[in-house]
Amino acid sequence: MRLYEYQAKRIFQKYGIAIPYGRVAKSAEEIVEAAHQLKRPLVLKAQVLAGGRGLAGGVKFAQDSDDVAKIGSEVFDQAIGIEKPAAVLVEEKLAVIQELYAGVTWDYQRKCAVLIGSSRGGVDIETVTKEHPEDVVKQNVDPFLGFSAYQARTIAGMIGLKSQSLNQYANALAALWKVFQQSDAELVEANPLGLQDSGMVALDAKIVLDDRSIFRQTALLSQIEELSPQTSSGFEYRRSRAKKLGIPTYIEMPQGNLAIIADGAGSGMLTFDMVTDQGGKTRVYCEMGGEITPELMERTMMAALSVEGVNVLLVNLIGGLNRMDEMAIGITNYLSKNPSKTPIVVRMSGTRQEEGRKTLAAAGITFFDDLDKAVGEAVKSGRRI
Amino acid sequence: MAILVDRKTRVLVQGITGKIGSFQTQLMIEYGTDVVAGVTPGKGGQLIHGIPVFDSVQQAVKNTKPDVSICFVPGPYACDAAMEAIDAGLRLVVVLAEAVPLSDAVKMVAFASKHDAFLLGPDTAGAISPGKAKLGVHPHRLFIEGRIGIVSRSGALSYETAKVLTENGLGESTVVGIGGGPVWGFTHRDALRMFRDDPDTELVVLLGEIGGYVEEEAAEYLRNGYPKPVITLIVGKAAPPGQKMGHAGAIIQQGRGTAQDKIAALKQAGAIVANSPREIPLLIRKVM
Repeated sequence: MRLYEYQAKRIFQKYGIAIPYGRVAKSAEEIVEAAHQLKRPLVLKAQVLAGGRGLAGGVKFAQDSDDVAKIGSEVFDQAIGIEKPAAVLVEEKLAVIQELYAGVTWDYQRKCAVLIGSSRGGVDIETVTKEHPEDVVKQNVDPFLGFSAYQARTIAGMIGLKSQSLNQYANALAALWKVFQQSDAELVEANPLGLQDSGMVALDAKIVLDDRSIFRQTALLSQIEELSPQTSSGFEYRRSRAKKLGIPTYIEMPQGNLAIIADGAGSGMLTFDMVTDQGGKTRVYCEMGGEITPELMERTMMAALSVEGVNVLLVNLIGGLNRMDEMAIGITNYLSKNPSKTPIVVRMSGTRQEEGRKTLAAAGITFFDDLDKAVGEAVKSGRRI
Repeated sequence: MAILVDRKTRVLVQGITGKIGSFQTQLMIEYGTDVVAGVTPGKGGQLIHGIPVFDSVQQAVKNTKPDVSICFVPGPYACDAAMEAIDAGLRLVVVLAEAVPLSDAVKMVAFASKHDAFLLGPDTAGAISPGKAKLGVHPHRLFIEGRIGIVSRSGALSYETAKVLTENGLGESTVVGIGGGPVWGFTHRDALRMFRDDPDTELVVLLGEIGGYVEEEAAEYLRNGYPKPVITLIVGKAAPPGQKMGHAGAIIQQGRGTAQDKIAALKQAGAIVANSPREIPLLIRKVM
């Protein structure tokens, strides 16, 4: 779960990392109001979870004479990919001596957390790693021994900082480590981390929480406000609805007509590939994870079938842990409550398949045993309509 | 022979009294797996499907001498349970739980390697040696005994592949799921090593997906020469970048971890590339 920039910045601030003066605005009027309370020049930043914000026009500046209302609505209305901003962060634009990078994430191959620093901030750290590997420095954190402050100082020294800046950077990195550890994060990063005479300031902030640790992060989550999408029909609305419905993986593609529901990640990706190979276009992809109840099956069908543009649903079930008798109950329950005009192609194999198939047959739902045939049928019926 | 599990393997089930643990234990026993004990703290002294339940792994080890543990304990408690099993001397622990916190996953895998133990998972379907025994949750009707070794990240993709092989009269020595990642204990490379030395395995099918490092690691291992044919299928070719495709480890980030890169690395290392499960039996017929 990725946090919005302004949410991440508030957490950084609690841990003693300086951030620019700013306000969050959730409407055009609030943007103007925020601008009145801040010193120009300003930077207006779309609050989205998608990457590539800068290139897509999601960050704009307002000088003394600029029309903030106009720039503000541009940023607020501009979709980044298929995502409309949930809010706009209006901040005072700061002059910095240098843009640095500081972050903490996992090294899955080495089985440890890793502190990362670079003298080249403001660019993707992966890009820097590719183009200037010598400018990216790392320190591994032993899973049993933990972090020690000298590791942050080591990085500060290795990226060329001296005297006061060295300690200020090390303190900021140590604070990021604390955020990372205490919020059970997947990634915490300040990029760029601005170097000023007065110290370090996080110009951008990224926190990706680990979805699987969220159960033990209730205190943190209670501090994070839920943002409501701009409209009650768009992609952001459906994404947040899918989350509330408990669908572990919900992905929309901008174009396409086919909905895929799978009960396994590998078989789901295979289905997606096979649909694409046969010339089909996937509009929405849902994967239900390991322990699936009939109710989750039902809710996932509802979510998938209510996406505009979907004219066929392909359900691929090949359960081990997941029981076909239970999935069949979910499917028949959904269809008895919501008779669907959209054709539904079900492939069902695996644990308790006889019972499951019997339930489907009794409800008049045809099913496939063979995945190739099911995919072929789904792609074909999508074309017919 | 087979790898990881066979008829002689003495199996301990952690979390045996839960709904899923109990149901899956019954299926394992029916399949012929030698389940010798279960553990659920506070429920010691009970019998489940005729299997004695203990309060701790240590007690179970003392009384029933298991070789391996399969752990049905839910994600939030899985790290503790796996460490308990490793600390009690077990050298293979299968962790099925899907929702294991990242920091816990790192810790349990690091703990296992410190103790020279294998941790299969987390988020795995386990392993099955068809016709012999299973240490996992595979829908075993889809599998028949044979001479092909399968190693897969996804459980479901291995079921799909085995189903197609069965329809073509081909079976497996052992099918191993290493889990959804992004943290893995046992990897494709470990499976390749074991299959190489297993006389019952003639050919290996390596199933992978986008994201992570295990396919690249396997390619590096194969590049030094491998005595048996390897056929590979990588899924996620059509997946949009930046999205977790169901497995936490299945994500293309900043252009890394694409199916195309993994396919190229494995091909260069000598593996035969399949584009769908359907193609796998055809390719097997050519080399076996």
